[in-house]
Amino acid sequence: MTEYKLQTPGFDARFPQQNQTKHCYQSYLDYHKCVALKGSDFEPCKVFWHTFQSLCPHDWVENWDDEREKGIFPGDLSIDQFKDKTEEKKE
Amino acid sequence: MSIETRSKFQLFPSHEVNPSPWPIYMSFSLLSLGLTLGLLMHGYILSTWWLILAISVVISTIFLWTRDIIIEGTYLGGHTIAVKRGLNIGFLIFVGTEIMIFIALFWGYFHSAMNPSIEIGCQWPPVGITSIKPTELPLLNTIILLSSGATVTWAHESVLSRNRHNALLGLFITTLLIVIFVLCQICEFNSATFNITDSVYGSIFYATTGLHFIHMIMLSLMLAICTARMYVYHFTATHHVNLETTILYLHILDIIWLFIYIVFYWWGC
Repeated sequence: MTEYKLQTPGFDARFPQQNQTKHCYQSYLDYHKCVALKGSDFEPCKVFWHTFQSLCPHDWVENWDDEREKGIFPGDLSIDQFKDKTEEKKE
Repeated sequence: MSIETRSKFQLFPSHEVNPSPWPIYMSFSLLSLGLTLGLLMHGYILSTWWLILAISVVISTIFLWTRDIIIEGTYLGGHTIAVKRGLNIGFLIFVGTEIMIFIALFWGYFHSAMNPSIEIGCQWPPVGITSIKPTELPLLNTIILLSSGATVTWAHESVLSRNRHNALLGLFITTLLIVIFVLCQICEFNSATFNITDSVYGSIFYATTGLHFIHMIMLSLMLAICTARMYVYHFTATHHVNLETTILYLHILDIIWLFIYIVFYWWGC
């Protein structure tokens, strides 16, 4: 049996405040953009998932997931600006 | 003997104001207007006739009070130098309170816009809000207001240099420009793609531009009154408190509009 290791997100210089609401929200956005761009198996996306799972209250996440399903999520999840850059790199 | 000369011989230059019903009348009619607006907007009153009644009472009180002031000042000669100073100081304090309320609204705007909350997706303007382009109608409005500042200065200089024709023309053009501004704002509010219930953006936008809009309607009324009083020889080159306060009001609203234009239409879009 492996020993359970508690992992919480570390300090992020973009969110130095004690209130980590924006940190949680940005990680949620980043995770969904990352998955939309690279697929859910892409390993580096996991860090965003861990961060928002750790920081965000669960009912917030459920609420946002509902909103995304209904297409009324107010956050910016557009990935077109990143797509062009990855295609350029491939070329 | 002119008012000016007579005031120099007065031992007590402040005039004794007759008991006037208008301050308490005004307070209650404004209370009625505020209550009616609130109750109407939240569906407790269903007929708009109550609103029309409340506005009629406010406007008739303004009319009757202004009539009394004109009688005291112009016809009875009660507005001595000391009284004029008092009126000007009173108006300056009023303008100070106006500036403070707009500062409060700007504070609200910056609070919401500089660090948008997660509820609106950390973006300003929020998703779905198509903000008004600053290079279109708002730019025209800015030009109209700046021109009105120039024409009103021309009118004031003409009054001071005893040129009745130019003063009347200047005041008329200024009134016209302010009326055009009000009409442009109505066009803009009607054609905007968002309204006051659309997120904090719509709320703070219409709260501030709407308050400024109501002030501009008031200013156009004040300028119309000044033009009419100029026409019926109420103003002299040395005694025109009504005109001076109206000019001050115009310039203050002008400056507030410039800040609204820079912050709300340009920086915040």
